[in-house]
Amino acid sequence: MKSRACKPPVLVRGAAPTPPAVQQDLPFPQAEPSARAGEQRSYRRAPAATPVERLWFCIWLPHLPLEANRSSEAATAIVEEQHGIHRILLADAEATAAGVMSGQAANAALALLPTLLLEERSLLGEQQALEGLATWLERFSSFVCIADRDVLLLEIAGSLRLFGGLQELRKKIARGVRELGFTASLSIAPTPLAATWLARSGRRACIRDEANLAPALRRLPLACLHWPAGLCEALAGMGVTTVGDCLRLPREGFTRRFGTEYLLALDRALGHLPDPRDSWRAPERFCADYEMTEEQSNRELLLNICRELLLSHEQFLLARQLGTQRVCFSFFHLKAPATELRLGCARAERSAERWLELLGIRFEQLILPEAVIAVRLRSGIAQPLQAKTDSLNFHGKPAAQQRRFSITQLAERLIARIGAQSVQATSMVAEHRPHYAWRSQSLLADWSGTSLDTPAQYVQRPLWMLPEPALLPSDSGYPVHQGCRLRLINGPERLETGWWDEDGISRDYYTAINADGRHLWVFRNRNRASSWYLHGYFG
Amino acid sequence: MENPRVWRGRDQAGQKAGLASGYPELDRHLPGGGWPSASLTEILTTQYGIGELRLLMPALSVLSRETPPQQDFSEPGWIAWVAPPFQPYPPALQQRGIDLSRMLIVRPKNAGEILWSAEQALSSGTCAAVLLWPEMLDDQGSRRLQLAAEKGHSWAIAFRPLAARHEPSAAALRLELHSSAQGTRVHILKSRGGHPTVINKLL
Repeated sequence: MKSRACKPPVLVRGAAPTPPAVQQDLPFPQAEPSARAGEQRSYRRAPAATPVERLWFCIWLPHLPLEANRSSEAATAIVEEQHGIHRILLADAEATAAGVMSGQAANAALALLPTLLLEERSLLGEQQALEGLATWLERFSSFVCIADRDVLLLEIAGSLRLFGGLQELRKKIARGVRELGFTASLSIAPTPLAATWLARSGRRACIRDEANLAPALRRLPLACLHWPAGLCEALAGMGVTTVGDCLRLPREGFTRRFGTEYLLALDRALGHLPDPRDSWRAPERFCADYEMTEEQSNRELLLNICRELLLSHEQFLLARQLGTQRVCFSFFHLKAPATELRLGCARAERSAERWLELLGIRFEQLILPEAVIAVRLRSGIAQPLQAKTDSLNFHGKPAAQQRRFSITQLAERLIARIGAQSVQATSMVAEHRPHYAWRSQSLLADWSGTSLDTPAQYVQRPLWMLPEPALLPSDSGYPVHQGCRLRLINGPERLETGWWDEDGISRDYYTAINADGRHLWVFRNRNRASSWYLHGYFG
Repeated sequence: MENPRVWRGRDQAGQKAGLASGYPELDRHLPGGGWPSASLTEILTTQYGIGELRLLMPALSVLSRETPPQQDFSEPGWIAWVAPPFQPYPPALQQRGIDLSRMLIVRPKNAGEILWSAEQALSSGTCAAVLLWPEMLDDQGSRRLQLAAEKGHSWAIAFRPLAARHEPSAAALRLELHSSAQGTRVHILKSRGGHPTVINKLL
């Protein structure tokens, strides 16, 4: 329901004005679309702003389930569970030669070829393989789109000149895809849907002109469209087996029987309606796994693996001119839950060497409950690198920048070992309540501390502050500390404020001195006259 | 006499100018006329809060505000507090002239980390002074701090309980603080290139 609501209203209008009964042969009037297409181009989100020629390169990977999950060279077949029975989804060439076919039960396949290796289908693995390929394809076009579970689309009109023409580009992509280990069917067409259908038909179609599009599509069997089986059967029962047959049907009747959805798909494929696509973006976070063939507990080796991961992390960030403030290592074990190691950095950083230095500090303390089977590196949110500008240096003195940089390095080293909450900077807050008059801040969040440059106008404050005021016993109205009555030498200083935010105070502060000559900062609540509290030492 | 193991007393240590403590009477008894820079100072007290910080504040405020002449840096150094027993109260520190924007408070979890953090801060060359409250400090530990302070041209100040007075230490200066109702007495236990003395009623 929702997907229909999302469709541009234009589409409904496009479908509505179908001429009534007479409509038989040519349901797509030729005069109208040109005017309409011009107006509708502006609806296209992608890719070029000017309504020039657009060309879609489609890569269909029919053997993706096999190629994404293949683990050995032996005859392999991918199985999928259907209604409780494992059936062959896809078999490789060797297995096919032995008679294994898709749709066969796994047992039947094993009877045909006892050495057959059966692999469970992994949708996640396919998705990852597809994303990996999409990332690789980004070098050819700024607009790559994952159109289906096994279909990638590239908009290449803008890339033709750079890569030396259509044929060159096609050759480059075909070679690259082959080298990455994928079997692909490629085709080029002016609309994304047409390119997809043509690729699925297995023809090496290359259509640049929209005028040639309709004749090429008309010949396609309906199976290439991947429409629901029920629909295809119904159409086949009517003697409709190709796209051309479909186009010959009256629009109104087609809509009434099968809904507008499929009619609109035909319109989009022919370029009569816009077909906006979302561009796929490579993730801005790095995540990579290193899996070992057997468990390892050699720390030297693990550190080397982390180094490898950090180096590819650096490459990832380098390509994007980014850095990150956090990385997280996960060490996976066979039985125990994964051990996590988080590292933080005061500035966005990508250099593997710096991360390795921080890792080294933490890694020696890391306790691994058992041997490690895989290591994963995930990076935090990527940020643009803050570029440093060095000033010209004539005096041979290190610049101020250098020193600032090294305090962050020191802070990072400390944080790496003892944790971010244990390394703090402080700053003042304009506030009369003593416990709100300052705050501590993490050096990672804002390491360049700021201080209020107001001269201190109030009376002397103690250098040591207790985390919480401590209740003091009292003796005939005077506070007692460590068994001895205090002498009040200064005060009172009345602080009565904060009534507006639930945590108001109303206290009289005194400077007291004990028998040892220790100066204490004590207060008494005004509303509860009898209780004395110790709040700090003058140090 | 060229043998480095022969202790030659005042002429060796006296060459380095100390950092004025802000207490003329104390400066008079310290070799170099002030706190020994780039080395370890130990302050032994019975309890905290008897004036051990007040003793340091004038010198720390100078370090915090001014560029040390012996260093080629164009910015004043940082002051690191490692494992303070209470919260150093920023408003009071600012009253005494400490630049809060260059203050680092580190709270390690155990004795080993305290020593490690202090060593890192001292040898990094970014901290003008490092104040630390070690849970325990043996001869070897104090030597490590002393070496780190020399390496980073930094002033290390370790606060220790009075019981530590009989333990050997590599510190260049060891002071003992006693407080009484009359005031705080400072006892110089060890001073490289100086003499042990007692100064009454300093604070």
